Amino acid sequence: AIGAVMYFHSHRGGEVMLFAGLLATTLSMAIWWRDVVRESTFEGHHTVVVQEGLRNGVILFIVSEVMFFFAFFWAFFSASFCPTIEIGAIWPPKGIECFSPWEVPALNTMILLLSGASVTWCHHAIVAGKHSNAVISLALTIVLAAIFTGFQLFEYSSAQFSISDGIYGSTFYMATGFHGFHVFIGTTFLAVCLARLLSFHFTTDHHVGFEAAAWYWHFVDVVWLFLFVAVYWWGGA
Amino acid sequence: LACSLPSAMEVKLETAPVDKRFANTNQAKHCYAYYNAYHQCMYENNDDAEACFKLKRNYMSLCPTKWVESWDEQREAGTYAGPVPGEK
Repeated sequence: AIGAVMYFHSHRGGEVMLFAGLLATTLSMAIWWRDVVRESTFEGHHTVVVQEGLRNGVILFIVSEVMFFFAFFWAFFSASFCPTIEIGAIWPPKGIECFSPWEVPALNTMILLLSGASVTWCHHAIVAGKHSNAVISLALTIVLAAIFTGFQLFEYSSAQFSISDGIYGSTFYMATGFHGFHVFIGTTFLAVCLARLLSFHFTTDHHVGFEAAAWYWHFVDVVWLFLFVAVYWWGGA
Repeated sequence: LACSLPSAMEVKLETAPVDKRFANTNQAKHCYAYYNAYHQCMYENNDDAEACFKLKRNYMSLCPTKWVESWDEQREAGTYAGPVPGEK
Protein backbone atom coordinates (compact mmCIF):
# COMPACT_ATOMS: atom_id res chain seq x y z
CA ALA A 1 0.00 0.00 0.00
CA ILE A 2 2.81 2.36 0.90
CA GLY A 3 4.55 1.46 -2.34
CA ALA A 4 1.43 2.19 -4.35
CA VAL A 5 0.97 5.59 -2.70
CA MET A 6 4.61 6.45 -3.30
CA TYR A 7 4.31 5.41 -6.91
CA PHE A 8 1.14 7.40 -7.50
CA HIS A 9 2.74 10.52 -6.07
CA SER A 10 5.99 9.96 -7.98
CA HIS A 11 8.16 9.60 -4.91
CA ARG A 12 11.60 8.15 -5.44
CA GLY A 13 11.63 4.41 -4.95
CA GLY A 14 7.87 4.11 -5.37
CA GLU A 15 7.99 1.42 -8.02
CA VAL A 16 10.54 -0.59 -6.09
CA MET A 17 8.49 -0.45 -2.90
CA LEU A 18 5.32 -1.36 -4.78
CA PHE A 19 6.96 -4.25 -6.60
CA ALA A 20 8.60 -5.49 -3.40
CA GLY A 21 5.29 -5.31 -1.55
CA LEU A 22 3.40 -7.16 -4.27
CA LEU A 23 6.13 -9.79 -4.48
CA ALA A 24 6.15 -10.29 -0.72
CA THR A 25 2.35 -10.58 -0.61
CA THR A 26 2.17 -12.99 -3.53
CA LEU A 27 4.94 -15.17 -2.15
CA SER A 28 3.30 -15.22 1.28
CA MET A 29 0.03 -16.36 -0.27
CA ALA A 30 1.69 -19.01 -2.41
CA ILE A 31 3.72 -20.44 0.45
CA TRP A 32 0.79 -20.29 2.87
CA TRP A 33 -1.57 -22.14 0.57
CA ARG A 34 1.13 -24.58 -0.46
CA ASP A 35 1.28 -25.47 3.25
CA VAL A 36 -2.51 -25.78 3.45
CA VAL A 37 -2.44 -28.26 0.54
CA ARG A 38 0.40 -30.16 2.23
CA GLU A 39 -1.51 -30.34 5.53
CA SER A 40 -4.72 -31.48 3.87
CA THR A 41 -4.05 -33.54 0.78
CA PHE A 42 -0.70 -35.00 1.81
CA GLU A 43 -0.93 -35.20 5.60
CA GLY A 44 -4.70 -35.76 6.00
CA HIS A 45 -5.37 -33.16 8.72
CA HIS A 46 -8.56 -31.77 7.15
CA THR A 47 -11.29 -33.66 8.94
CA VAL A 48 -14.93 -33.00 8.13
CA VAL A 49 -15.08 -30.40 10.89
CA VAL A 50 -12.05 -28.61 9.50
CA GLN A 51 -13.60 -28.66 6.04
CA GLU A 52 -16.80 -27.09 7.37
CA GLY A 53 -14.76 -24.39 9.08
CA LEU A 54 -12.94 -23.63 5.86
CA ARG A 55 -16.17 -23.47 3.90
CA ASN A 56 -17.63 -21.01 6.41
CA GLY A 57 -14.45 -18.97 6.26
CA VAL A 58 -14.52 -18.75 2.48
CA ILE A 59 -18.17 -17.74 2.49
CA LEU A 60 -17.47 -14.99 5.01
CA PHE A 61 -14.55 -13.79 2.93
CA ILE A 62 -16.77 -13.59 -0.13
CA VAL A 63 -19.32 -11.64 1.93
CA SER A 64 -16.57 -9.17 2.81
CA GLU A 65 -15.78 -8.85 -0.90
CA VAL A 66 -19.45 -8.08 -1.52
CA MET A 67 -19.12 -5.23 1.00
CA PHE A 68 -16.12 -3.99 -0.95
CA PHE A 69 -18.06 -3.80 -4.20
CA PHE A 70 -21.07 -2.34 -2.37
CA ALA A 71 -18.98 0.78 -1.78
CA PHE A 72 -18.21 1.28 -5.45
CA PHE A 73 -21.80 0.68 -6.46
CA TRP A 74 -22.83 3.24 -3.82
CA ALA A 75 -20.46 5.73 -5.37
CA PHE A 76 -21.82 5.01 -8.84
CA PHE A 77 -25.47 5.34 -7.86
CA SER A 78 -24.83 8.38 -5.70
CA ALA A 79 -23.28 10.13 -8.69
CA SER A 80 -25.74 8.93 -11.30
CA PHE A 81 -29.16 9.02 -9.63
CA CYS A 82 -29.06 12.77 -9.08
CA PRO A 83 -26.33 14.11 -11.34
CA THR A 84 -24.97 17.48 -10.25
CA ILE A 85 -25.46 20.76 -12.05
CA GLU A 86 -21.74 20.89 -12.80
CA ILE A 87 -22.08 17.95 -15.20
CA GLY A 88 -25.35 19.21 -16.65
CA ALA A 89 -27.73 17.32 -14.34
CA ILE A 90 -27.81 14.41 -16.79
CA TRP A 91 -26.29 10.93 -16.85
CA PRO A 92 -24.16 10.05 -18.68
CA PRO A 93 -22.60 13.52 -18.58
CA LYS A 94 -22.34 15.53 -21.76
CA GLY A 95 -19.42 14.57 -23.94
CA ILE A 96 -18.98 11.05 -22.57
CA GLU A 97 -19.19 8.44 -25.31
CA CYS A 98 -20.36 5.35 -23.49
CA PHE A 99 -19.96 1.78 -24.59
CA SER A 100 -23.01 0.27 -26.20
CA PRO A 101 -24.11 -2.40 -23.74
CA TRP A 102 -25.27 -4.64 -26.57
CA GLU A 103 -21.85 -5.11 -28.11
CA VAL A 104 -18.85 -6.39 -26.14
CA PRO A 105 -20.48 -6.07 -22.68
CA ALA A 106 -23.39 -8.32 -23.65
CA LEU A 107 -20.97 -10.82 -25.17
CA ASN A 108 -18.93 -10.75 -21.97
CA THR A 109 -22.09 -11.41 -19.97
CA MET A 110 -22.75 -14.53 -22.03
CA ILE A 111 -19.13 -15.62 -21.63
CA LEU A 112 -19.24 -15.34 -17.85
CA LEU A 113 -22.61 -17.04 -17.57
CA LEU A 114 -21.31 -19.91 -19.69
CA SER A 115 -18.21 -20.13 -17.52
CA GLY A 116 -20.47 -20.36 -14.47
CA ALA A 117 -22.20 -23.31 -16.09
CA SER A 118 -18.91 -25.01 -17.01
CA VAL A 119 -17.52 -24.68 -13.49
CA THR A 120 -20.72 -26.27 -12.18
CA TRP A 121 -20.29 -29.03 -14.73
CA CYS A 122 -16.78 -29.53 -13.35
CA HIS A 123 -18.09 -29.86 -9.82
CA HIS A 124 -20.59 -32.49 -10.89
CA ALA A 125 -17.83 -34.34 -12.73
CA ILE A 126 -15.58 -34.31 -9.66
CA VAL A 127 -18.38 -35.63 -7.46
CA ALA A 128 -19.17 -38.33 -10.03
CA GLY A 129 -15.50 -39.30 -10.25
CA LYS A 130 -15.35 -38.45 -13.96
CA HIS A 131 -11.83 -37.16 -14.15
CA SER A 132 -11.49 -36.35 -17.84
CA ASN A 133 -14.85 -34.50 -17.86
CA ALA A 134 -13.69 -32.50 -14.87
CA VAL A 135 -10.44 -31.56 -16.62
CA ILE A 136 -12.23 -30.55 -19.82
CA SER A 137 -14.86 -28.45 -18.05
CA LEU A 138 -12.36 -26.71 -15.76
CA ALA A 139 -10.07 -25.97 -18.71
CA LEU A 140 -13.09 -24.59 -20.58
CA THR A 141 -13.93 -22.36 -17.62
CA ILE A 142 -10.40 -20.97 -17.54
CA VAL A 143 -10.39 -20.38 -21.30
CA LEU A 144 -13.69 -18.49 -21.06
CA ALA A 145 -12.30 -16.42 -18.21
CA ALA A 146 -9.27 -15.55 -20.30
CA ILE A 147 -11.47 -14.59 -23.25
CA PHE A 148 -13.52 -12.33 -20.97
CA THR A 149 -10.35 -10.65 -19.73
CA GLY A 150 -9.13 -10.26 -23.30
CA PHE A 151 -12.34 -8.57 -24.40
CA GLN A 152 -12.30 -6.24 -21.38
CA LEU A 153 -8.72 -5.22 -22.13
CA PHE A 154 -9.73 -4.55 -25.71
CA GLU A 155 -12.65 -2.42 -24.51
CA TYR A 156 -10.35 -0.51 -22.17
CA SER A 157 -7.87 0.16 -24.95
CA SER A 158 -10.55 1.41 -27.33
CA ALA A 159 -12.44 3.48 -24.77
CA GLN A 160 -13.32 7.08 -25.61
CA PHE A 161 -12.96 8.17 -21.98
CA SER A 162 -10.42 7.56 -19.20
CA ILE A 163 -10.56 7.33 -15.42
CA SER A 164 -9.76 11.05 -15.31
CA ASP A 165 -12.85 12.01 -17.26
CA GLY A 166 -14.96 13.30 -14.42
CA ILE A 167 -17.18 11.33 -12.14
CA TYR A 168 -18.30 9.06 -14.97
CA GLY A 169 -14.75 7.95 -15.65
CA SER A 170 -13.97 7.51 -11.97
CA THR A 171 -17.01 5.41 -11.12
CA PHE A 172 -16.81 3.37 -14.32
CA TYR A 173 -13.15 2.43 -14.03
CA MET A 174 -13.11 1.90 -10.27
CA ALA A 175 -16.03 -0.53 -10.47
CA THR A 176 -15.06 -2.37 -13.66
CA GLY A 177 -11.36 -2.19 -12.84
CA PHE A 178 -11.68 -3.85 -9.47
CA HIS A 179 -14.03 -6.38 -11.04
CA GLY A 180 -11.36 -7.17 -13.62
CA PHE A 181 -8.80 -7.62 -10.86
CA HIS A 182 -11.14 -10.06 -9.13
CA VAL A 183 -11.57 -11.92 -12.43
CA PHE A 184 -7.78 -12.26 -12.52
CA ILE A 185 -7.71 -13.59 -8.95
CA GLY A 186 -10.56 -16.00 -9.72
CA THR A 187 -8.87 -17.23 -12.89
CA THR A 188 -5.65 -17.85 -10.98
CA PHE A 189 -7.57 -19.73 -8.30
CA LEU A 190 -9.23 -21.90 -10.96
CA ALA A 191 -5.87 -22.51 -12.65
CA VAL A 192 -4.39 -23.72 -9.37
CA CYS A 193 -7.41 -26.02 -9.04
CA LEU A 194 -6.77 -27.36 -12.54
CA ALA A 195 -3.17 -28.12 -11.62
CA ARG A 196 -4.33 -29.90 -8.47
CA LEU A 197 -7.03 -31.77 -10.39
CA LEU A 198 -4.44 -33.02 -12.85
CA SER A 199 -2.38 -34.18 -9.87
CA PHE A 200 -5.39 -36.06 -8.48
CA HIS A 201 -5.60 -34.01 -5.29
CA PHE A 202 -9.42 -33.99 -5.25
CA THR A 203 -11.59 -36.93 -4.22
CA THR A 204 -15.28 -37.31 -4.94
CA ASP A 205 -16.27 -36.05 -1.49
CA HIS A 206 -13.29 -33.92 -0.44
CA HIS A 207 -12.44 -30.92 -2.63
CA VAL A 208 -12.89 -27.81 -0.50
CA GLY A 209 -10.33 -25.85 -2.52
CA PHE A 210 -12.30 -26.41 -5.68
CA GLU A 211 -15.59 -25.49 -4.01
CA ALA A 212 -14.02 -22.26 -2.78
CA ALA A 213 -12.77 -21.44 -6.27
CA ALA A 214 -16.18 -22.18 -7.79
CA TRP A 215 -17.97 -20.00 -5.22
CA TYR A 216 -15.51 -17.19 -5.82
CA TRP A 217 -16.07 -17.53 -9.54
CA HIS A 218 -19.85 -17.33 -9.16
CA PHE A 219 -19.39 -14.24 -7.00
CA VAL A 220 -17.30 -12.62 -9.80
CA ASP A 221 -20.04 -13.52 -12.28
CA VAL A 222 -22.79 -11.99 -10.14
CA VAL A 223 -20.83 -8.77 -9.65
CA TRP A 224 -20.49 -8.55 -13.43
CA LEU A 225 -24.25 -8.99 -13.85
CA PHE A 226 -24.84 -6.06 -11.51
CA LEU A 227 -22.20 -4.04 -13.36
CA PHE A 228 -23.77 -4.83 -16.70
CA VAL A 229 -27.27 -3.86 -15.64
CA ALA A 230 -26.34 -0.78 -13.60
CA VAL A 231 -23.24 0.73 -15.22
CA TYR A 232 -23.45 -0.38 -18.83
CA TRP A 233 -27.19 -0.64 -19.45
CA TRP A 234 -28.99 1.75 -17.07
CA GLY A 235 -26.02 4.12 -16.83
CA GLY A 236 -25.28 4.19 -20.54
CA ALA A 237 -26.65 6.33 -23.36
CA LEU B 1 -42.73 58.85 15.34
CA ALA B 2 -44.61 57.65 12.39
CA CYS B 3 -42.28 56.46 9.75
CA SER B 4 -43.91 55.68 6.51
CA LEU B 5 -42.39 55.47 3.13
CA PRO B 6 -43.92 57.52 0.41
CA SER B 7 -45.91 55.13 -1.81
CA ALA B 8 -43.67 55.91 -4.75
CA MET B 9 -40.85 54.25 -2.92
CA GLU B 10 -42.75 51.07 -2.05
CA VAL B 11 -40.62 48.12 -2.91
CA LYS B 12 -42.14 44.69 -3.42
CA LEU B 13 -39.80 41.97 -2.24
CA GLU B 14 -40.40 38.68 -3.96
CA THR B 15 -38.61 35.79 -5.59
CA ALA B 16 -39.56 32.97 -7.93
CA PRO B 17 -42.87 31.29 -7.09
CA VAL B 18 -42.93 28.07 -5.11
CA ASP B 19 -42.43 25.10 -7.41
CA LYS B 20 -43.44 21.70 -6.08
CA ARG B 21 -40.83 20.07 -8.34
CA PHE B 22 -38.17 21.68 -6.16
CA ALA B 23 -39.61 21.21 -2.71
CA ASN B 24 -36.39 21.00 -0.70
CA THR B 25 -34.35 23.68 0.94
CA ASN B 26 -31.65 23.29 -1.69
CA GLN B 27 -32.94 25.35 -4.60
CA ALA B 28 -29.93 24.89 -6.86
CA LYS B 29 -31.81 22.76 -9.38
CA HIS B 30 -34.65 25.31 -9.34
CA CYS B 31 -32.23 28.06 -10.32
CA TYR B 32 -30.69 25.83 -12.97
CA ALA B 33 -34.09 24.97 -14.42
CA TYR B 34 -35.01 28.65 -14.84
CA TYR B 35 -31.62 29.53 -16.30
CA ASN B 36 -31.96 26.82 -18.94
CA ALA B 37 -35.63 27.65 -19.52
CA TYR B 38 -34.74 31.29 -20.16
CA HIS B 39 -32.15 30.38 -22.79
CA GLN B 40 -34.52 27.90 -24.39
CA CYS B 41 -37.19 30.62 -24.48
CA MET B 42 -34.81 33.14 -26.06
CA TYR B 43 -33.88 30.58 -28.70
CA GLU B 44 -37.50 29.77 -29.49
CA ASN B 45 -38.62 33.43 -29.59
CA ASN B 46 -35.68 34.79 -31.58
CA ASP B 47 -34.09 36.58 -28.62
CA ASP B 48 -37.27 38.40 -27.62
CA ALA B 49 -36.29 39.63 -24.17
CA GLU B 50 -39.83 40.69 -23.26
CA ALA B 51 -41.32 37.26 -23.85
CA CYS B 52 -38.75 35.66 -21.60
CA PHE B 53 -38.58 38.42 -18.98
CA LYS B 54 -40.26 36.43 -16.17
CA LEU B 55 -37.84 33.52 -16.62
CA LYS B 56 -34.88 35.87 -16.49
CA ARG B 57 -36.19 37.63 -13.43
CA ASN B 58 -36.67 34.30 -11.66
CA TYR B 59 -33.25 32.93 -12.41
CA MET B 60 -31.59 36.24 -11.54
CA SER B 61 -33.33 36.06 -8.17
CA LEU B 62 -32.72 32.41 -7.42
CA CYS B 63 -29.19 31.90 -8.72
CA PRO B 64 -25.98 33.09 -7.10
CA THR B 65 -24.47 35.74 -9.38
CA LYS B 66 -21.17 33.89 -9.60
CA TRP B 67 -22.92 30.85 -11.02
CA VAL B 68 -24.69 32.91 -13.68
CA GLU B 69 -21.42 34.60 -14.66
CA SER B 70 -19.57 31.31 -14.89
CA TRP B 71 -22.37 29.66 -16.91
CA ASP B 72 -22.50 32.63 -19.31
CA GLU B 73 -18.73 32.33 -19.80
CA GLN B 74 -19.06 28.60 -20.43
CA ARG B 75 -21.80 29.20 -22.98
CA GLU B 76 -19.56 31.62 -24.85
CA ALA B 77 -16.66 29.18 -24.73
CA GLY B 78 -18.88 26.30 -25.83
CA THR B 79 -18.12 24.33 -22.69
CA TYR B 80 -21.49 24.60 -20.94
CA ALA B 81 -22.44 21.19 -19.55
CA GLY B 82 -26.16 21.84 -19.61
CA PRO B 83 -28.68 21.80 -22.43
CA VAL B 84 -27.78 24.23 -25.22
CA PRO B 85 -30.84 25.10 -27.32
CA GLY B 86 -30.40 24.10 -30.92
CA GLU B 87 -27.77 21.49 -30.11
CA LYS B 88 -28.54 17.79 -30.36
